[in-house]
Amino acid sequence: MSAVDSAPDDVRAIEAAAAPTRFARGWHCLGLSEKYRDGKPHSVRAFGQKLVVFQAGDGTLSVLDAYCRHMGGDLSQGTVKGDEVACPFHDWRWGGDGRCKQIPYSKRVPLRARTASWPTLDQDGMLFVWNDPEGSPPPADVVIPRIEGATSDEWTDWLWYETTIDANCREVVDNVVDMAHFFYVHYSFPTFFKNVFEGHTATQHMRATGRPDARPQEQGDKPKTTGSNSLAAYHGPSFMIDDLTYHYDTGDQQSVLINCHYPVDANRFVLQYGIIVRRSPSMTGSAADELAAGMAQFIKLGFEQDIQIWQNKARIDNPLLCEEDGPVYQLRRWYEQFYVDVADVKPEMTDRFEFELDTTRPVEAWQKEVEANLARKAAAAPAEGRPV
Amino acid sequence: MRVDNRLTDGVPMRPLACDRCAAQVLVRKSSRQQTSVQWNSGATALCAELEGAEPAFEGCGSLRDTIREATLRGTIELADGGGGGETGGPGRQLM
Repeated sequence: MSAVDSAPDDVRAIEAAAAPTRFARGWHCLGLSEKYRDGKPHSVRAFGQKLVVFQAGDGTLSVLDAYCRHMGGDLSQGTVKGDEVACPFHDWRWGGDGRCKQIPYSKRVPLRARTASWPTLDQDGMLFVWNDPEGSPPPADVVIPRIEGATSDEWTDWLWYETTIDANCREVVDNVVDMAHFFYVHYSFPTFFKNVFEGHTATQHMRATGRPDARPQEQGDKPKTTGSNSLAAYHGPSFMIDDLTYHYDTGDQQSVLINCHYPVDANRFVLQYGIIVRRSPSMTGSAADELAAGMAQFIKLGFEQDIQIWQNKARIDNPLLCEEDGPVYQLRRWYEQFYVDVADVKPEMTDRFEFELDTTRPVEAWQKEVEANLARKAAAAPAEGRPV
Repeated sequence: MRVDNRLTDGVPMRPLACDRCAAQVLVRKSSRQQTSVQWNSGATALCAELEGAEPAFEGCGSLRDTIREATLRGTIELADGGGGGETGGPGRQLM
């Protein structure tokens, strides 16, 4: 039981402003670049707009506003011709730089024939788009770090999933600091938890122990997880790289998990997650692929539970925190830097902040809960789950 | 910007200078195990351990020692009073 400590007996009101209609400045991943390399224009709804993604003949992936500046045709319904995307309405040809290059039935292209284009980054098998409401190009020091395993034969290929969620994307970012939800929503058991925010990165250091009452894969002769070590960091507002090592009774298993999203509009976002697993002498070829697939399924299950929470919860600007919660307010202060003009980014949004959680009490409470769950399971199914 | 209810209703962040480099930071401890550290650009520039640190670097060891000393001296108070209810007994090991 917790000590109850409340002086004024007033009802606590949930406060929440409407979700911002401005979209974060930063690199946003639109998924695996391979998906856009089929020679066709693709339609993507993001940042409150409709975009067209297409691959030019020279291999470059480009992102433009989907609507043709001539008569408003939808370029994502058009065709790729050479290095340009052609509008299905009157065949106006648009280059990746946003300029109209040719109108086959006209002697010349009119003045001002320029549409909105987004800077892109094609890196480690993923396509990124730079969003900036002020229209500036990405600064040289705002980068997505390279992922060594993504281009190495020693690792599996990306397994990638995406799903659209009816909520503002702040909900997924809040997870960075939310230690306790890893136990209740993801069947994990954190034993160490620390956040560091600095510049445009927000990091979560987490060590967790096995959860024998909840891990479905811990059956039969399969390797048993004894815990995990995770270093997860947001690089900008939407792209998280998680260096995740699972400790098995047979040895360590390295993986990289991507958790990223892009906003569709103020109250909807596309959540994506990808995973690669390192092959090792004991984890070769298909065994590594199988493990990656198993982990992806487990992660998918976790996100599905998050989604259930997000789509039913209230947006809350004044969360009421106990001392065993993470730094939600300081995370949101960091996150705010992406929603204001560059000139209005304050030092407090980017200055280094560290928060190490005291997991003593949570660990005590959760051990009891795990033991109770195991006892209940054993009582309910006396013939199952016991060594023969 | 909104303020953490734990700072307004409990113990605030307190200034503390690192014993090694004199970097001035703000510190709060809710218990012996929990620590919050607010840096500013002046402090991060002074800290030798932070310079060129890898992403896996969890924090400056010298500052951690300074905070431990300050907690023992009582310069940094614990929000739970050091007793920590059933969990944080006074005889418990630090860090």
